[in-house]
Amino acid sequence: MDVSVEEKIIPDYKAKEIFEKEFMPHLDAMYNFALKLTADEDDAQDLVQDTCVKAFRFIGSFEPGTYAKAWLFRILKNNFINDYRKKSRGPSKVEFEWVEQSISSDEEYSEPAYFADLHAETVQEMMGDEITAAIQSLPVDFRMIIILCDLEEFSYEEMAKILHIPIGTVRSRLHRARAVLKEKLVEYAKKKGYH
Amino acid sequence: MKASCEHHHECMKVIQRIIDREATDEEEAVFLTNKDQCLPCQEGYALELSLKKAIQSKCSVPCPEQLFAKIRAKLFLLFILISILIPLFC
Repeated sequence: MDVSVEEKIIPDYKAKEIFEKEFMPHLDAMYNFALKLTADEDDAQDLVQDTCVKAFRFIGSFEPGTYAKAWLFRILKNNFINDYRKKSRGPSKVEFEWVEQSISSDEEYSEPAYFADLHAETVQEMMGDEITAAIQSLPVDFRMIIILCDLEEFSYEEMAKILHIPIGTVRSRLHRARAVLKEKLVEYAKKKGYH
Repeated sequence: MKASCEHHHECMKVIQRIIDREATDEEEAVFLTNKDQCLPCQEGYALELSLKKAIQSKCSVPCPEQLFAKIRAKLFLLFILISILIPLFC
């Protein structure tokens, strides 16, 4: 939770109104994000509930009229990193370090020149479960950025704020994440016999 | 038409920015002009676009109905607690 933002005291009836009007419409998106992070329906529901309680408690730092979805996603992401990552079957610290090292050495990273084995038509044929499984198999930082960008369509600037990273890192992480996702999809395509 | 692209790594970055609506008008115009002459860029563009569309259309699940009720119940409890506790300390 960003405590640098000045908190205003909001009457309870007003807080409830803001919650219903600004936050509840994003519950589907929050659940999807939580499910991709935790890979478990119960954990995802707990994570969304905890996020909503935190959002309600700190509603004074939310400015009505600003982008509520980005504010909620930031709380959810922080909540996941601080609490759920420790107890879930999520990635280990080593995995996070690996991701950061991969990103810092982005310049040296050589993307496969050409995904000759993966075509637009192949992806169109794939089932949602197969693409979801490929996303779930990514390191969590890669998973997060793919979901934020491709599923939720946040801008790079919004993602930088949600993930608390520079916009340049958003670009390089997203590019790398997509390359790894495509590598996973090539494996799936070969295994399942897609052409 | 070119069968290989000597700038493919850079082109893929531009393609992704275009698909994410983050490219400048100039970047987009240059890419679209060159795309028709370069097979890897054409296929790269189609692949990135289909992947983004597939994630949007196939990887979303609806939030369970009971979660709405659970959240409202939790907030109601929190609301009651705040209503009782705050006057005690003020």
